[in-house]
Amino acid sequence: MKRNKGYTKANFLKGILIENPLFVSILGTCPALATTKSIEAAIGMGLLFTFVLICSNILVSLLRKLIPEEVRTPAYIVIIATFVTIVKMLTQAFLPELYSTLGVFISLIVVNCIVLGRAEAYASKNNVFDSLIDALGMGLGYMVALFTMAFFRELLGTGGFTFGKIFTFIPTYKLQIIPKGYEIKLFQNPAGAFIVFGLILATIACIKNRKEAYKAYLDKQEKIRKAQEAKNVGGNK
Amino acid sequence: MDKKHLIITSITLGVIAASSALLIGVTNLITKDKISQNEKEKIVSGIKAIFGNESKIKEESPINESIFAGEYKYINYVYTISDNSDVLIGYAFKTSGSNNFGKITMLVGYTSTKIYKSVYMISDEQTFASTLEDEYVTKITDNPDYQDVDVHCGATYGATLVKEMIDEVKGAVNK
Repeated sequence: MKRNKGYTKANFLKGILIENPLFVSILGTCPALATTKSIEAAIGMGLLFTFVLICSNILVSLLRKLIPEEVRTPAYIVIIATFVTIVKMLTQAFLPELYSTLGVFISLIVVNCIVLGRAEAYASKNNVFDSLIDALGMGLGYMVALFTMAFFRELLGTGGFTFGKIFTFIPTYKLQIIPKGYEIKLFQNPAGAFIVFGLILATIACIKNRKEAYKAYLDKQEKIRKAQEAKNVGGNK
Repeated sequence: MDKKHLIITSITLGVIAASSALLIGVTNLITKDKISQNEKEKIVSGIKAIFGNESKIKEESPINESIFAGEYKYINYVYTISDNSDVLIGYAFKTSGSNNFGKITMLVGYTSTKIYKSVYMISDEQTFASTLEDEYVTKITDNPDYQDVDVHCGATYGATLVKEMIDEVKGAVNK
């Protein structure tokens, strides 16, 4: 079967930009507020989330014609819970620091609306390849959103970035940007997470509104121009 | 719903559940040794964090196999700690407890003279884990006046559990 490259690209990019699960659809906010104290934790959460999303989307898409309509949701939950349990065990065994940092939020991926939402809305109606691309886009979009929040929270809350604390396989390195004593600890607390999240959403809304206003302005100008042209044509007659 | 459809539905769900159980079982087989090894390492580093780098486990006793079996709600293990020259320096109690916000497993250290020394978190699965650790656990670490520490908003339930666990150990030590 010949694939439409344009569709695949749009399918992948929609999760990152126009349908970003966190900043546009406002889904999965609970772990986003809780796991964005540091860039490393945010990347870790993003990777685990993407893994679960890819695996569940592929399996749901593969089984879409076999799962009866009546038991669709329980079957999807069993599939998602299986991958979350596997991810939890693997993290506990091979990335214990990440496991203790994310804590209960690894298990809570099961109830993340994005995973069940993509299974229900996309993977259950599309082929395996498209479902994989959708999961990759959505997972990456969520990870980018978590990273953005963590960037501001860690920078403002601790004055810099620490690497190698959670991903112990990389050397430990602390990059201090804001001088010590000038950091704002509030950004490391839940209140700081809400402030950062609110400000990012406000910025996105502002950009979107300006774009729409500019588009409306152009449409209006076009209408005036057309009306002027029609008037001129009528006058000449 | 007709009988045939009902059977097909049940079989499909059964097959999905069985495959899931198999996958989880295989992953458990692969990871269980590594997980228990990680936990042991965490206990050793916890003991070193409480009693210093020179400390080591002299004896390990599961509470269920002792005369105190069933007597304590939180205490699971008691470790007798000695220094490099085998002199007793204290006791570490491995405690586990949970509330509506999740499970906590931690070590509580007492000196051989029955004085509270410190705590060390082995795992904290509380929803407010980081708030609890930043605003309470760090304040009671190496602080003999743990009962007077003020609890930060957001960590109150977790702090109550931690305090209960330490108090149980205090009772056990005095016994």
